[in-house]
Amino acid sequence: MSIRSINVDVAVVGGGPAGLAAALAAKEAGAKKVLVLERDFELGGILQQCVHDGFGLLKFGERLPGPAYMQRYIDAVAQTDIQVMVDSMVLELTPERTLYVASPTEGLLEVQAKAVVLAMGCRERTRSQIWLPGTRPAGIYTAGTVQRYINMEGILPGRRVVILGSGDVGLIMARRLTLEGAEVEGVYEVMSQPGGLTRNIVQCLEDYNIPLYLSHTVVDIHGEKRLTGVTVARVGADRRPVPGTERFIPCDTLVLSVGLIPENELSREAGVELHPVTGGPVVDESMATNLPGVFAAGNVVAVFDLVDYVSATGETAGRAAARYAAGELKDGPALKVIPGTNVNFVLPQAVHPVRTTEPVTFYLRVKEAREPAKVVVRAAGRVIKQVPQMVVRPPEMVSFVLTPAEMRIAGSSDLVVSVE
Amino acid sequence: MGEEYDVIIVGAGITGCGIARELARYDLKILVVDKEEDVCCGASKANNGMVHSGYEPKPGTLKGKLNVRGVELYPRWAEELGFKFVQTGSMVAAFSEEELPALEKFLERGKANGVPGIEIISGDEARKKEPNLSPEIIAVLWTPSAGYVEVQQVVLALAENAVANGVRFLLGAEVTDVLVEGGRVQGVVTTQGTFRSRYVINAAGVYADKVAEMAGAREFTIHPRRGTLIIFDKREGKHLSCFVGAVPGEYTKGGGPMTTPDGNPLWGPSAVEIPDKENTAVSAEEIRQVIEKDLRFIPNFPIDSVITYFAGNRPATYTEDFFIEASAKVRGFINVAGIQSPGVASAPAIAEMVVGIMKELEPLRERPDFNPYRPRFVPFRERTRAEQAALIAEDPRFGHVICRCEHVTEGEIVRAIHGPIPARNLDAVKRRTRAGMGRCQGGFCGPRVAAILARELGVPVTAITKKGPGSELFAGRIEDLRLKRGAAR
Repeated sequence: MSIRSINVDVAVVGGGPAGLAAALAAKEAGAKKVLVLERDFELGGILQQCVHDGFGLLKFGERLPGPAYMQRYIDAVAQTDIQVMVDSMVLELTPERTLYVASPTEGLLEVQAKAVVLAMGCRERTRSQIWLPGTRPAGIYTAGTVQRYINMEGILPGRRVVILGSGDVGLIMARRLTLEGAEVEGVYEVMSQPGGLTRNIVQCLEDYNIPLYLSHTVVDIHGEKRLTGVTVARVGADRRPVPGTERFIPCDTLVLSVGLIPENELSREAGVELHPVTGGPVVDESMATNLPGVFAAGNVVAVFDLVDYVSATGETAGRAAARYAAGELKDGPALKVIPGTNVNFVLPQAVHPVRTTEPVTFYLRVKEAREPAKVVVRAAGRVIKQVPQMVVRPPEMVSFVLTPAEMRIAGSSDLVVSVE
Repeated sequence: MGEEYDVIIVGAGITGCGIARELARYDLKILVVDKEEDVCCGASKANNGMVHSGYEPKPGTLKGKLNVRGVELYPRWAEELGFKFVQTGSMVAAFSEEELPALEKFLERGKANGVPGIEIISGDEARKKEPNLSPEIIAVLWTPSAGYVEVQQVVLALAENAVANGVRFLLGAEVTDVLVEGGRVQGVVTTQGTFRSRYVINAAGVYADKVAEMAGAREFTIHPRRGTLIIFDKREGKHLSCFVGAVPGEYTKGGGPMTTPDGNPLWGPSAVEIPDKENTAVSAEEIRQVIEKDLRFIPNFPIDSVITYFAGNRPATYTEDFFIEASAKVRGFINVAGIQSPGVASAPAIAEMVVGIMKELEPLRERPDFNPYRPRFVPFRERTRAEQAALIAEDPRFGHVICRCEHVTEGEIVRAIHGPIPARNLDAVKRRTRAGMGRCQGGFCGPRVAAILARELGVPVTAITKKGPGSELFAGRIEDLRLKRGAAR
């Protein structure tokens, strides 16, 4: 049986905040055939299940619930001739930009794209990846899965819940579970500092009297068929459990919020170079990866905490993809963008001076909290820019902009970004 | 009440299903019962799937005889039943001069057991075959005949072929008593009814001693020995193509790293005596032991590519050998017990031996319409693009990918739910299709598989379980719970 084949200018893998922003930007930048491939039954990505508000403060000046934020993009896409395929899974991407897609309605489809934007988002770190011992009963879920069950399927996974991990997803779910009638016994965090945004600590835990136990972790899981309880323990400075501090907590649900992992299986198999710290593709100011014509945006590049940033990277990627498809993306030497003092990673990891006719937004995460602090950008030892910050914390991404004039000062020297 | 059978087999693991399939060749009415809601839920579920070559069992033991014979029979089983059997050999590694006599010992033992092609090769020769082996390995006992299977695929294939040939499976039926009268077995009482039969074959794994006791035919005792296994991401599946282990200890071959036929690195098992038959928890200590031990053989392996780990209990007898005998005390009661490693390797030979025992008890007539073939349904992910296109054109549900890590489609999940041994819970779907076996461990596909199960079984999604009654996935629908809370006020 021969396989149906189509040609497009820009193919976008993922119809969430990054993908839809990319598709719209590509269209606006003149791409004729733009195709969005989404594996879920509807567009919107992970925001479809994020019913809490707070999205869009930067982008729209409003605090929207996730689905409302996405509806603006979904409506905008519907106004264009951007082609959308839902229930469609990209099985493979080749370096020549051929995508193989499985779809119940379109069959097995071969898409030849002039440019591709990868926007697959993240998956969640699992119980096994944190080496949690114990039994393997029903009742152990990652926080995003619980969010889907509650907010989209109308199902409560359990009644008495322990949450491991104080990342944002876990905090949001602590509140959600409580609002829907479950009892959240507590949130346990192995680090000595919370993992999520301060506003979520306040609005999800403190406002609901849910205790937060820092420097604690789960050391055992009990129950053969369904969870009957967990054992928690305090951890020392080395983050190892302190013997004698174990406490058994009866519960029927353990929710894990222990990290997000950019989902780069397609990228890796295609030969996209991945960054060891972000877990996502190494990208430049255009969100271009090392594969010609392949761009990446959103959480697949690095875990962002504000969807506004995700949409912004989507716009950059979409615009660049359209230009690439039209043969208009200039090539030239690149400057490396190197993490300096107290910087865990900085995006993008490279800039092409020949392409920087617009300001470039950079995103970074610090290793340690500081209050106050400043972002210092240097090239060949010379300070190009300083951006003061009231406070910097690892869970809260810092962004700053370099104008074309500022980047010109760097000349041909690499940029070093520090937080001091 | 209940029905009459010629043979009732207690236990639907690799032993019970192998016996069922081989006995299905004969004119016998056969019933297989198991307390779990699916086949392959005991020791068969939690083992590494190695078909050992047979150098380890002591000559003269049943294990020694049946291991090598089983390996001989595996290619035919694989061809007829449609499961992957990869024969890439196995290695026992020595790191020092002190360990060389042990290699020699197992070389001799292997030869005595009839292991084909067994030889000792140098560390360098071993590294030519397996470049990622530790540079510290100085010599290796090499056995080319060792092979690998995905055990759940073998058990399902055996069970499905047995069903196609008239065997009945009753799952979720726990044997609570064995009926004996006049020194002769009469049948079994289960939680789903009483069934009469002329023969009862006890293949009940860790519970074999308990079932034998019910019959008054307990001629052995089982002391469970727990083993923990660790599975890593397929993307690291090229590090090793065959098992490498340490010199076998007194009671255990010791485990080691290997790669499954589906391409996952698999490490372990450990070995810990466990008094509680049901205690298959994974301990932090056993994880540490497995990693420390197995890393010695391939030191550059990235252990952060872990996907999952689990444990199972070996049904070890105190003689540490298989116990396969027609009971002298209770006529018609056949014990097939103590099937720990090399149980998987020996399975075809165990089934052959039990058929032999049956033939000694009464003449068996072959069924002319026995069909040994159970064709393999090639999973979507293994098909070529053209084959995938054809499959989707035939049934659009094969175009709907549900498990994104393993590329399992709705078509395959529906097929599993309505198969000859129907999948009724999440783990059963996983066992048949691999949905949930990938790197996200069901985080993405879990809700979707639960919804498909509910739809296909015609039950509310809140009734769906992970592995049978008691392992319900959900507390309830939010609106129902809210109404209940409202009514209680």
